[in-house]
Amino acid sequence: MPTQVEHTEYMYLRPTKKFPNVWCAGCGIGIVMGALIRAIDRIGLEKDDVALVSGIGCTGRMPVYMDFNTIHTTHGRALAFATGLKIARPEMKVITIMGDGDAVAIGGNHFIHAARRNIGITAIVVNNSIYGMTGGQYSPTTPIGGRASTAPYGNIEPPMPICDLAKAAGATFVARSTVYHAVELDRYIEQAIRKNGFSLVEAVSYCHTTFGRLNKLGSPTDMMRQLKDGSVSLNAAEKLSPEERETKIVRGVLHDVEKPEYTQLYEQLVKRVQEANLQKA
Amino acid sequence: MTIRLMQGNEAVGWGAIAAGCKFYAGYPITPSTEIAEMLSRELPKVGGKFIQMEDEIASLAACIGASVGGLKAMTATSGPGFSLMQEHIGYAAMTEIPVVIVDVQRLGPSTGQPTSASQGDVMQARWGTHGDHPIIVLSPVSVSQTFDLTVKAFNYSEKYRTPVILLMDEVVGHMREKFDLPEFETVERVERIATNVPPEWYKPYGDSLSDVPPMANFGEGYRYHITGLFHDILGYPTTRLDEIDPWIERVHRKIERNLTDIVLVEEDVTESDKTIVVAYGASARSARHAVRLARQRRTKVGMVTLLTIWPFAEAEISRVARIAKRIIVPEMNLGQLALEVERIAGRNKVVRVNRANGEMVTPQMILEAIEDR
Amino acid sequence: MSEPSVVEQPKAEVKTGTKKGPRGHVTVFANWCKGCGICVAFCPTGVLALDDDDHPVVVYPEKCTACHWCDTHCPDLAIVVKKVEL
Repeated sequence: MPTQVEHTEYMYLRPTKKFPNVWCAGCGIGIVMGALIRAIDRIGLEKDDVALVSGIGCTGRMPVYMDFNTIHTTHGRALAFATGLKIARPEMKVITIMGDGDAVAIGGNHFIHAARRNIGITAIVVNNSIYGMTGGQYSPTTPIGGRASTAPYGNIEPPMPICDLAKAAGATFVARSTVYHAVELDRYIEQAIRKNGFSLVEAVSYCHTTFGRLNKLGSPTDMMRQLKDGSVSLNAAEKLSPEERETKIVRGVLHDVEKPEYTQLYEQLVKRVQEANLQKA
Repeated sequence: MTIRLMQGNEAVGWGAIAAGCKFYAGYPITPSTEIAEMLSRELPKVGGKFIQMEDEIASLAACIGASVGGLKAMTATSGPGFSLMQEHIGYAAMTEIPVVIVDVQRLGPSTGQPTSASQGDVMQARWGTHGDHPIIVLSPVSVSQTFDLTVKAFNYSEKYRTPVILLMDEVVGHMREKFDLPEFETVERVERIATNVPPEWYKPYGDSLSDVPPMANFGEGYRYHITGLFHDILGYPTTRLDEIDPWIERVHRKIERNLTDIVLVEEDVTESDKTIVVAYGASARSARHAVRLARQRRTKVGMVTLLTIWPFAEAEISRVARIAKRIIVPEMNLGQLALEVERIAGRNKVVRVNRANGEMVTPQMILEAIEDR
Repeated sequence: MSEPSVVEQPKAEVKTGTKKGPRGHVTVFANWCKGCGICVAFCPTGVLALDDDDHPVVVYPEKCTACHWCDTHCPDLAIVVKKVEL
């Protein structure tokens, strides 16, 4: 066996945690984990300065594997817990890790308010268009016509546009990529973490075990290839007709603006109040 | 010391600040809103943080997040919001994260009557969240006691690494009384036990001498995992019975072995009191008035005021049950604490005096029960 | 189950003999590998193949260009490519 295996990712895994990880063979969530670690490593963050806050679902099982300050919370509420932690420790990098159902179904309200506040949290949403952990029920991002265990005749609900929602609510950085484009994904995650404000990265993935099986989409390799063929870069997307664009996953940095960040605004408020209070005394 | 005319809800705010609270996240709801308004003003002055979250679920979540980050945190609500918070009360109990939840009870169920009082959340405070878990619940009788019990709530929550509920009611919350606001330097503050081992050796749910594991805050050099799943002493999810069973025992023991510290009771009872009134919160005010009137009429009657509602004062009630032939339990509900008294003292000894329509149980009603009319 | 993988994989048979020499050295940690086949399917030069247990083995080590596709896409972090100094 090799005496010198160098792999950045291994430097950030918890040596006391049991591996291999809990996800199905070929699941994209593990790929997102690798991308997240590479991004954090490139920025050069101290492990003690990073907090990962997750919700419930397969994606929510990600933080336990990594050697940071990690907290696995309740379904849909990661951003609310993260808000309290970020306010208490504004100097920390707080990253939330959520699935599509966790983030925009039960978590929808916290999603839009965290974006509205532009609080310095990076939200990574792994979107596999299904509730995988509970056996394949449809989620707010399941495509129309897609079959799920609770949509046996095909889903009739239009999917929630996660990135548009974040942008409309006030997020200052929004990007999307797929687990096929793992290296592009880690660059966007890096940008998102560096951003001083609410930053969202939608990592499009697949669940071959539930959605894939119910819709006859094949193996992890097949579904990986579908992500490759079914997505386009932002530049290429602009050259497509609106109807064509609708059918593609558009990858890129979709939104990147500067606005005051919440915890900094509150610190300024506290200073103002304390100074006024001293003057009164 | 400054003598002030203070509202009960305001006393919650001052108690929190005196106890070292540095974080409040909440959602406005009658009759608790004054607590939020007061703290939105006062917390920034002491370098604390206030945020109005988008709902009660997020409010308690943010408080737990802030507590993990090292700040003493509190939220306040009323019945409907308290119902929403139940999941996270269970989360704090499972993860042993200190946090204070104030429930200023209104008439329920449902929207009920926001500006009327009740004591209808007694059982919900104990069992509102799913699963077997211990909890500490305190209920003040006066404005000055509200200050004291708020401080106690924070101290218990830090000492025992548990959520603590301050069960107020709209009467005490909205009333104004003369109150001697103490110098905050004189107020006793308890801090969470810090760990004394190097980071790689830290076991977030182990190494506890007193069943309460030392708690490291995020960002201080101790990296560990917190989860609402059943977990081992490292905080990792587990399904092993030999890890689940010890956790259940330890977490219940940490409260059950400390009842002399946690169960606060005021007793005004003699061996010859054949009738004893057991009351709490606003009903205790009516009860004390009734007891005074009865004693003026030479009736031998004792008065027990429960400041701690949960864990239930089994030892104290057992003792008075041996003295008394009748135990009168007035409550602004249809008999919730009475169920516990009946369990300990026997149903035929207990006389319930109930009112669940938003009005206080009056001294007259209790006096009639004392004099057996 | 489903349609077979688009890319057909040869069963393992390690080749030796080099022309230019590999640019990367591939290590597979079999205990962590769950045999999903993604690395084998997408390796651009065909370094890997599946053995009888559907686990990846290096069959053409000299063909590795250290592109790192496999070790950035392995969901289990079970494969590592180390750049070889030429």
